[in-house]
Amino acid sequence: MAKKKPADHAAGSGVTRRGFLGSVGAGAVAAATGAASRAEAVPEITDPEEMVAVALTINGRRHRLLVEPRWTLLFVLRERLCLTGSKAGCERGECGSCTVLVDDEPRYACLTLAVEAEGREITTVEGLLVGEELGDVQRAFAEHDAFQCGYCTPGQVVAAEGLLRANPRPTEAEIRTGMSGNLCRCGAYAHIVKAVADAADGRKTGGGS
Amino acid sequence: MTERTDYHIGGTPPETPGNDAAAGPWPATTVVGSRQPRIDAYERVSGTAVYPHDVSLPGMLHGAILRCPHAHARVLAVDTAAAEKMPGVAAVITAATPGADIPWYERDGGFASTLFDPHCRHQGEEVAAVAAETPLQAVDAIRAIRVTYEELPFVVDDTAALAPGAPAIHDGGNLIGEPRVRSRGDIAAGFAEAEVVVEGVYRTSCQIHAPMEPHGSVARWDGNRLTVWDSTQGVYDVQERLAAALELPRSSVRVIGPYMGGGFGSKLETGKYTVIATLLARMTARPVKIFLPREDCFTSTGNRPANTMTIKIGAKADGTLTAIEYASSGSGGAYFGDAGTGALPAYLYQVANLHAIDTTVHTNAGKARPMRAPGVPQAAWALEQAMDELAAKLGLDPLELRLRNIPATLQAGPGLPFTSQHLRECLVKGAEAFGWAEAVARPPDEGHLRRGVGLAAGMWFYSGGPPSTVVVKLHADGSANLNMGASDIGCGTKTWAAMIVAEELGVPLEQIQVEHADTATTQYATSSGGSKTVPSDSPAVLAAARSVKHQLIGFAAEQLGVPADDLVYADLALTSRSDPSKTLKVTEIGMLGRRGVVVGTGYREPNPEGSFTAPTCAQFCEVEVDTRTGGLRILRFLGAHDSGRVLNRLTFDNQVFGGMAMGIGLGVTEERVLDRQTGRMVNANLHDYKIPTMLDVAGDHACLPIDEPDHAFNTTGAKGLGEPATIPTAAAVGNAVARALGVRISDAPLTPRRILDALAAQRKEA
Amino acid sequence: MLPKFSHLRPATLREALAALDASDARIHGGGTDLVGCLRDRVFTTERVVSLSAIPELRGIAATGDGGLRIGATATLTEIAGHPAIADRFTAIADAARVVASPQLRNQGTIAGNLCQKPRCWYYRGDFHCLRKGGELCYAYEGENQHHCIFGGDLCYIVHPSDTAPALAALGAVCRVSSASATRSVPVDRLHVPPSVDPRRETVLEPDEVVTELVLPAPPAGLRSSYLKIRSRNAWDFALAGVALALVFDGDIVRSARVFLSGAAPVPWRSTAVEAAITGQALDAATIAAAASAAVAGAEPLSGNAYKLALFEGLVAGQLEAIRG
Repeated sequence: MAKKKPADHAAGSGVTRRGFLGSVGAGAVAAATGAASRAEAVPEITDPEEMVAVALTINGRRHRLLVEPRWTLLFVLRERLCLTGSKAGCERGECGSCTVLVDDEPRYACLTLAVEAEGREITTVEGLLVGEELGDVQRAFAEHDAFQCGYCTPGQVVAAEGLLRANPRPTEAEIRTGMSGNLCRCGAYAHIVKAVADAADGRKTGGGS
Repeated sequence: MTERTDYHIGGTPPETPGNDAAAGPWPATTVVGSRQPRIDAYERVSGTAVYPHDVSLPGMLHGAILRCPHAHARVLAVDTAAAEKMPGVAAVITAATPGADIPWYERDGGFASTLFDPHCRHQGEEVAAVAAETPLQAVDAIRAIRVTYEELPFVVDDTAALAPGAPAIHDGGNLIGEPRVRSRGDIAAGFAEAEVVVEGVYRTSCQIHAPMEPHGSVARWDGNRLTVWDSTQGVYDVQERLAAALELPRSSVRVIGPYMGGGFGSKLETGKYTVIATLLARMTARPVKIFLPREDCFTSTGNRPANTMTIKIGAKADGTLTAIEYASSGSGGAYFGDAGTGALPAYLYQVANLHAIDTTVHTNAGKARPMRAPGVPQAAWALEQAMDELAAKLGLDPLELRLRNIPATLQAGPGLPFTSQHLRECLVKGAEAFGWAEAVARPPDEGHLRRGVGLAAGMWFYSGGPPSTVVVKLHADGSANLNMGASDIGCGTKTWAAMIVAEELGVPLEQIQVEHADTATTQYATSSGGSKTVPSDSPAVLAAARSVKHQLIGFAAEQLGVPADDLVYADLALTSRSDPSKTLKVTEIGMLGRRGVVVGTGYREPNPEGSFTAPTCAQFCEVEVDTRTGGLRILRFLGAHDSGRVLNRLTFDNQVFGGMAMGIGLGVTEERVLDRQTGRMVNANLHDYKIPTMLDVAGDHACLPIDEPDHAFNTTGAKGLGEPATIPTAAAVGNAVARALGVRISDAPLTPRRILDALAAQRKEA
Repeated sequence: MLPKFSHLRPATLREALAALDASDARIHGGGTDLVGCLRDRVFTTERVVSLSAIPELRGIAATGDGGLRIGATATLTEIAGHPAIADRFTAIADAARVVASPQLRNQGTIAGNLCQKPRCWYYRGDFHCLRKGGELCYAYEGENQHHCIFGGDLCYIVHPSDTAPALAALGAVCRVSSASATRSVPVDRLHVPPSVDPRRETVLEPDEVVTELVLPAPPAGLRSSYLKIRSRNAWDFALAGVALALVFDGDIVRSARVFLSGAAPVPWRSTAVEAAITGQALDAATIAAAASAAVAGAEPLSGNAYKLALFEGLVAGQLEAIRG
C-alpha cells in the first residue's frame, strides 16, 4: 500500500507545525468566535434572549427556570438550585461524582443538558433521604464505611440506587459492573461492594424504601 | 549521617508544651480498636456535607485561570481588552496588574518565580485570570484573552534534561540541588563478599494524585480580614502561606476546610489559585470562587514523578545481603519537586554495605508534589522485584529471603533502634493468612491463563510528632466537644479522635461533636499528610481527655470527701475504691454543673530521643494474566500491617484497601503521557488517564493488622497507615505477574502493551 | 464549561430534518459524545438539534421477515438487555454491554455510538490536528500506542465504536433521512477512511439523520460474538476488538463476516480472517492460520506493535469460544 505520511501532506500545503503552534494561544481561537460583536453593547450580566424556559422535576418537585441551552443539568442543580449533593469532579462524564437518576436510570448530570432533562424525573442524592432519615443505600454506605473523603459518594450512592432499581438482586459481579461508572480515588471499592450487596439484601427481605 | 525524621519541613524542631495529667498506656479498650462507622457518615452519604467546591456566598463571583498551552514559552503580550468587555466580567488580572507580582516557588531562601511569571516553564502555568458573574462567563472571558507567546525549546525527558545543550529551565542548569547520597560500609567489599548478585533497571511512570474534588478555593474579604474556604490537607499551612504572600498578620487570615474531597499530597501545597482568588476578591470587593477544571489538576497541581531506578544486590548463598547499590533519577518538574526514592533500599533490609544516590532534575512539566509515600512505592517497585530475582537465583522462597534480612535497627549513623517494628510478623502472619506456601507450591498453569502470586514488603519513614494541641470540653450534661485543627482528608480523623474521647471519658460516640480544620476556631495542627495525623494528633486527643478526667476526679474527690487517688473513673461515674458506696455520676459533680463545662487541653509530647518509628507492612496478591491479550486480573490481595495500635478497625481496613487501589493504579493502569513533539500532556483527563475502577481492583480484599501498640513511641501506641498501605502494592503485583509469566517486566504500569511486548521478547529468546 | 449554542428539541422527525436543512447544526442523540466534544472545543456549533423527544426514532422490534429494527435513539442499555438481541444477534448485545460505563450506556444511543467522533487524544485535546483542519497527524510521530495498525493514511485514529463492528458483521443497514430524501447505508459502508477524506468520519451529510438500523433475519447456523480488550477493565475504549458473525454448517464455517475494532480508522473488515476460516472446521490449525491472517499486512506505528500479538490472541480466543 502506498501510504502517505502526514509530513507529505504538511509539506505540500506549505504550513508547518512550528507555524501553527506559534500562532495560537488558548484564547485566540475563541476570541475569533463572537466576543467582538458585544464590545459596544451595555454590559449584560445574562442575555435574556439566550435563555429558554424549562420545567424540571427534581426529587418530586417541579422547578420552572430560565436556562441557557449550554447549562448542564449539573450546573442547574448545583448553581441554581443549591442541590450541591451532586458533585462536580470532571464535568466531562469521566468520574461519576455527578451521577443522578433520570427516570430511575443513573446518568452523568454533567453530560446531560438541562434542556434535555425536561419531562424526566430527576433524583439526586438528596432525594434518597426519607425526610431526614438516610435511605437504605445511604445507610448501608454509612454502616460499611463505603467511602473515605466522601466526594464521590453521592454519585456512588445514586448509581447503587439505580442499579438496585433495575436489578434488585444483583450478583457480586453485577454489582461490580453496575458500579464501574464511578471512580473512587480513595479506593473504597471493597466496602462499596459490601454496602450495595447489603442494601440489596435488605430490599430482598422487605426492609427497603 | 542521620536520617531526616521531620514531620514538618524546614525550621527548628517543633514542640508543644507538656501535659498536666499523667498518661500511662490504656490497659484494655472497649471503643478504641472496634469497628465504628464514621461520626460524619450521615453528612457524607446524604450529600449534606458542604465541601469547599459547594460553598456559595452572597454576591460571589466565579474565577477562571488562563494557562500557558506550551511546554516552555515566554509571554510577550497579553491583551485583555475584549475579555474585560464581556458580559458578567468583573475583573481581569495579569502579571501587569498592580499587586499581582507575588513571589512564588521558594528556592534557597528566596523565590524563583512569580504568580503570573511571563517565563512559562511548563504547560499549565498561570498567565491571567478573570472573575465573572457565572463560571461559564469566566471561562468565556479567559478564552477571549489574546496572548502572544514566544515558544522556547523544551525538554520533558529526564535524561535529556541533563544532556549538554538541553534548554535550561532555571539559571544554573537542570539539576535540582545536589544528588542525595546515602552510604554506609564498603560497597566494593560488600559485592566481593557476595556469592550471588542481581542487577536490574526498573522504571515507574508519572502518577497524578487526581483527588475527586478538584483543587480550589473561595475567598472573601471583610476589610483587611480574609476568609478562605479551601480544599486543603492543612488549613494552618495555607494560612501561613497566604499571610506571607499578602503581607497580613496570620490572625487576619482565616482558612476553613472541614470537608475536603481528597488530596493524597497534592493539597499540602498552597495553590496559586487560592492567592488569585484573594486578589480578584480584593479587586472586586466581592467573594470569588475558583475551582480548577479537571485538566488543570493534571498539569498544574503536582504529580508522583516517574523514576528510573538501577539496583544491584549482592548476597551470600544463605540469602544474607552483603551489599546494595542503588541509583534513582526522576524529575521534580519545572520547579523544585523532589524525585528521591533512596530511603527504602537504604533501610528496609539489614545490609552493611550500601550506596544509594538520588538525582532530581528539572523538566518542562508540572512540579512534582509529595504523593502518598513520596518515592517509596517506586523504590519498592525496584527493590522488591530485585529481591524476588535474587530469591530465584538463590533458590530461596521470596518470603524466606526477606525473613533472613529483617533490619535490627534503622541503619542510619550508628543505628537507631525502632520504637517498635514488626516486619517479621507482617511477613509471617500475612503469608499464613494468604496461604502463601500452598500458592507457591502450585504447579504453573499450562494454558493461556496464567495465575501467579507475589509479595512485597514496605516501610515508611515519617513518624509524626509535635506540635499538636487539642481541646476537649465536657458539658454538664455529660456530652463533649472535641476541638482540633487537623483536616480529615478521608482517613476518618474525626471518628478515631471521638473514639479516643469515648474510650477515655465514657461519653457515647454520638454525644461527641468534633470541630476541626478551621484556623479561627480550632487548635493548631500540622497538615494531614505523610501518615502522621494519627501519631501526631491522637496522643494530644488522649491528653486532652485525660486532662478533663483529671479535673473531674479532683472535683469528685472534694465532693465525696475521699482522696483523688481513691477514685475509679468508669462509665461516666466515679467510685471510691475503699468505699464503693461513695459514688457520683459525672453529671452529679457540682463543680461541673456550676462551671457548665470542664475544658481539657492536650498537647503532643516529643518523640523519644535516639530511636526511630517506622510502620512496616507486607502485601500479598494473586493475579491472572491472559497471555493472549495481555489482560491482567487481580484476583485477591492481602495486606498485613504493623501500624501500631488499631484505633478504628473499620476505617483501618478501608485505608489498607484504598492504598492497594492506588498502588494498582501505579502498577497496572496509570501513566501520564507527554507528547514528545510538543511537551504537552495528551491524557490530561480521567478517561485517558486511567484511575482503577471497581473492576480493576482485587476481587477479594483482606486486611490483617498486627495491632501491637507502640508505647515507646507515643501514648496511644498508634503509628501511621495511609502511606504504608500503598507502598508494596505495585511491587507485589509485579512479582505476581513475573511468577505467572516466567518473565520480569521492569517497567510500570503493566498494561496489555507492556505484557505483550515482554511475552514477545520472551518468545524471541526461547 | 460549554460554549454557547441554541437548542431545538422537536417532537417529530419531520421538524428535526427541516431544522437541520435550514441551519448548520449538530445532532444530539443521547448527548454523551456531543457534549463531550463541545466541552473540549473539538468543535463548536451555532445550534444543537436534539432527537431525544422523537418517539418514532425509539424502540426495538422484530421485522416481518424475521429481522430486527432498532430505533436510532434506542439506548445501549436497552440493546444490551434486549432478549431477542442477546439471543439472535449476540454480537450486538456483547458490544453494547461493554461500551463505556453503565451511566453512559443509559444515555448513549445506538446511532450516536455509530457516529461518534474519534477518541484520539490529539483530536480530543488542544492540538490542531489534521482531522480538525490542521496540517498533520500528531500521532504518526508521537504517542501512538492506541492508534491504528491498518488503514492509516494521513490520519491514524482508530474508530472508537464497539457496536459498529458488531452491526457490520451482522449485515445491519442504516436508514438515513434528510428533509429531501431517504436512503439506506449498510453499516459496513457508513464510515469514511482517511484515504478518502481524513476530515470526515461518516458518509452522512450534515442534514442527514440515521433513523433506524435494520438487521436481516439471521440465517440458520449463525453464531456471533464481540469482545474487546482494554487497558482498564471498565469504562474504556478497545485497544483491540473483534466481531464475528459465522454461519456454521455442522462444524464447518459456511460463511463469515469478521470486523475488527481498535485496528483502523474505520471498523475494519478482515477478509483475510474470513478467507482463512470459510469452508473450514475451526480446528487448531485453522484458528492459528486465521489468527496470523488477522494481522497480515498490518503496519504498526512506533508504539503499537503489541497490537499484532493482541489481535492474534484475541481472534484465536474468540474463534475457539464461538466453536463451542
